[in-house]
Amino acid sequence: MTAATAHRTYLGAGFSLWSWLSSVDHKRIAILYAVSITVFFFIGGAAATLIRMELITPAGDLVSAETYNKLFTMHGVIMVWFFLIPSIPSTLGNFLVPLMIGARDLAFPRLNLASWYLYILGGLFTIGALVAGGVDTGWTFYTPFSTMFSNTHVIAVAAGVFIVGFSSILTGINFIVTIHKMRAPGMTWFRLPLFIWSMYASSIIFVLATPVLAMTLFLIAIERFFGVGVFDPALGGDPLLFQHLFWFYSHPAVYVMILPAMGVASEIITCFARNRVFAYRSMAYAVLAIAIIGFLVWGHHMFVSGQSIYAGMMFSLLSFLVAIPSAIKVFNWTATLYKGSISFDAPMLYALGFVGLFTIGGMTGLFLASLALDVHLHDTYFVVAHFHYIIVGGAVMAFLGGIHFWWPKITGRIYSDGWARFAAILVFFGFNLTFFPQFILGYLGMPRRYHEYPPEFQVLNVLSSAGASILAIGYLLPLAYLFWSLRYGAAAGANPWRAKGLEWQTPSPPPTENFVVTPVITEAPYAYAESRNG
Amino acid sequence: MISHPVAPARTYVLVWLGLVTLLLLTLGSAYLPLGWLNGVVNLAIAAAKALLVMIFFMHLRSSHYVLRLAAAAGFFWLAILIGLSLSDFLAR
Amino acid sequence: MADSAIVARQFDDAAQQRTAADLGIWIFLATEILFFGALFAAYTITRIRYPEAFAIASRLTNVALGSVNTGVLLTSSLTMALAVRATKLGARKASIAFMSATVALGLAFLAIKGIEYYLDYTGHLVPALNFSYAGPHANQVQIFFYLYFFMTGVHSLHMIAGICLVGVMIAMASRRAFSPAYYTPVELSGMYWHLVDVVWIFLYPLLYLVARS
Repeated sequence: MTAATAHRTYLGAGFSLWSWLSSVDHKRIAILYAVSITVFFFIGGAAATLIRMELITPAGDLVSAETYNKLFTMHGVIMVWFFLIPSIPSTLGNFLVPLMIGARDLAFPRLNLASWYLYILGGLFTIGALVAGGVDTGWTFYTPFSTMFSNTHVIAVAAGVFIVGFSSILTGINFIVTIHKMRAPGMTWFRLPLFIWSMYASSIIFVLATPVLAMTLFLIAIERFFGVGVFDPALGGDPLLFQHLFWFYSHPAVYVMILPAMGVASEIITCFARNRVFAYRSMAYAVLAIAIIGFLVWGHHMFVSGQSIYAGMMFSLLSFLVAIPSAIKVFNWTATLYKGSISFDAPMLYALGFVGLFTIGGMTGLFLASLALDVHLHDTYFVVAHFHYIIVGGAVMAFLGGIHFWWPKITGRIYSDGWARFAAILVFFGFNLTFFPQFILGYLGMPRRYHEYPPEFQVLNVLSSAGASILAIGYLLPLAYLFWSLRYGAAAGANPWRAKGLEWQTPSPPPTENFVVTPVITEAPYAYAESRNG
Repeated sequence: MISHPVAPARTYVLVWLGLVTLLLLTLGSAYLPLGWLNGVVNLAIAAAKALLVMIFFMHLRSSHYVLRLAAAAGFFWLAILIGLSLSDFLAR
Repeated sequence: MADSAIVARQFDDAAQQRTAADLGIWIFLATEILFFGALFAAYTITRIRYPEAFAIASRLTNVALGSVNTGVLLTSSLTMALAVRATKLGARKASIAFMSATVALGLAFLAIKGIEYYLDYTGHLVPALNFSYAGPHANQVQIFFYLYFFMTGVHSLHMIAGICLVGVMIAMASRRAFSPAYYTPVELSGMYWHLVDVVWIFLYPLLYLVARS
């Protein structure tokens, strides 16, 4: 790209730092988010590194128990709220939603920038608390420990998460309004890419669940500060009330983490199988069903906490039900591959890895949703393995796949496919080595959140830590070759993958206004098979 | 597309009169010994007031159905939070 | 001067801009329903566990002031609705007058609330400050008042925000920023104001009228 053409893309619309920090262009804001979440990812990853290093030996010899509590707490807080939840929606979502529907920008661009600043402000509170000594309550902030007994900076972190919650809420409002009101002519609901459906469903969760978390954190902070409140058993309050309020948000939150990943997977699998997605409507409905039913299952985090057994039975049944639309999606992705023309570029490797690892994670969720099994497995490493399979093996793999798929569009550059495939395989291998032993450890009874363990668990822990080191390399490699491509990569062209979808009909990188002429949509999405046969 | 027809000022004043009447009703009925019915009546009257405000003052009457869906979703989801939590507290 | 709407660059036309704003504000109001809703959930669950304590405690609230305040707030919704209507019709002076009335009523609400808080303070009903109650279920009576101050406190913060918002609208209207073609900020402010009213509509019976007979 020459300097003459550069100024016509969104990257060329100003080169100063202030032009980036004050931009209301959804594409620039997406990049602001991408940089920020990467920083937080590696901070959370540093905590994970220390955790896995401690767990190489049975004795608690690297850090004290109190420090270990702070490590897993900060790992959880940072990874959940400052990496996972914003990852796909605020980076890929922000960049792609207007492009995929044929709009010039989101409905409320200034609100979008405000979202990012709220994210940064929340992050500063949290990092500040980290530097000042951290928090040790677990990312779940259970009372009465968080309100009465912890001696760490609970209020500061609660404030940080409260603030970043509003970042999510504003993003959710923006996406819902944009998708409802700003689709290009001919872009009917059932011609939307599945990525848009997943952004829509995730946004519904953002706006309905996050406010409850915000108020719950506010309740914790006030109770801690004033020494009196609704969660205090001495006054007749109920710690379980906190858990109900907390998990009402935090369970749907995990669907916020996976639904965008599912959207990414649908985009990648169709492109690299050169096939229409199998049963498009059921994929769209499944995404909505997951979002809605996902609001009804939160009690499965509380089976052994004193919750009524009858409520437990109901939550268990609903948890089984929410697996059905997820399974439908896995079947449909598989069916999309059937009679396709499959190529194994890096994005596809990530997407296929996503499908397999998500399936394992999802099925182990069913084990945990069974009341009797959960009595044995709750608070063990089985749970840790289950959710890491979904959010790391699933969501992070899909996120990386999406970054690799849309990198040419976002930057106008091609990266080294060889290095990218190598990194993808390294991540897959390192991930499984890290987390599969944890299923066994949990089944054998090793509790989570302990910095020491009986010696008979050491072999599995060493395998897990070894895997973590491989995983770390797998995550660092993309930083290297992706940044290398920014300087030395070949020019991408508008559509290097020959993909369908409006975002590929505009130059790479796109101009600030996205489309020179507003597109008119006349065909169904994923019209790959027609191009293959015709 | 959405440009609410401008209602006459009279409509708003009538709604206000309805709201004040309901306020007096709820206050008055609170002093009647109805047992558990007091709570039900008060909540029902509160819901009626809220509906009057939302339908007339907030123009849900002439709004696109998606807006009404958004309003309903807020209340419905709150009902889920309270209802499913109660399934625990009432069944212990 | 805004005789015609200024359409932001991301929108195709003024109509799309308006419907986007309408949907956006309603989704935001839904988030407010859930934000306060968490407190209503905490209230509901605690009240079901301690019905007698809540009955006793509710009788200690100042029902006269609470009822007057409810009337004040309902009236402020009327004046705000009339303000939005006047703006739509281009009646600038009327809209400013109605918005000023709304602000005045909002301030009156806060003043009455302040008096109530003061009376609660002298009555030793403020948890963490000077709460002391000699009757039965004192601990749970304290929880009631914790929720009372929390819920009315968060509500009052929203009132302050609303008053500031309408104040800004008055300033903008004075500078002729609105017209029949463009009155969106006033309409959105009105929606916010009405929602804060709706929250109070539910707070009032739950806090003041629990066991008055």
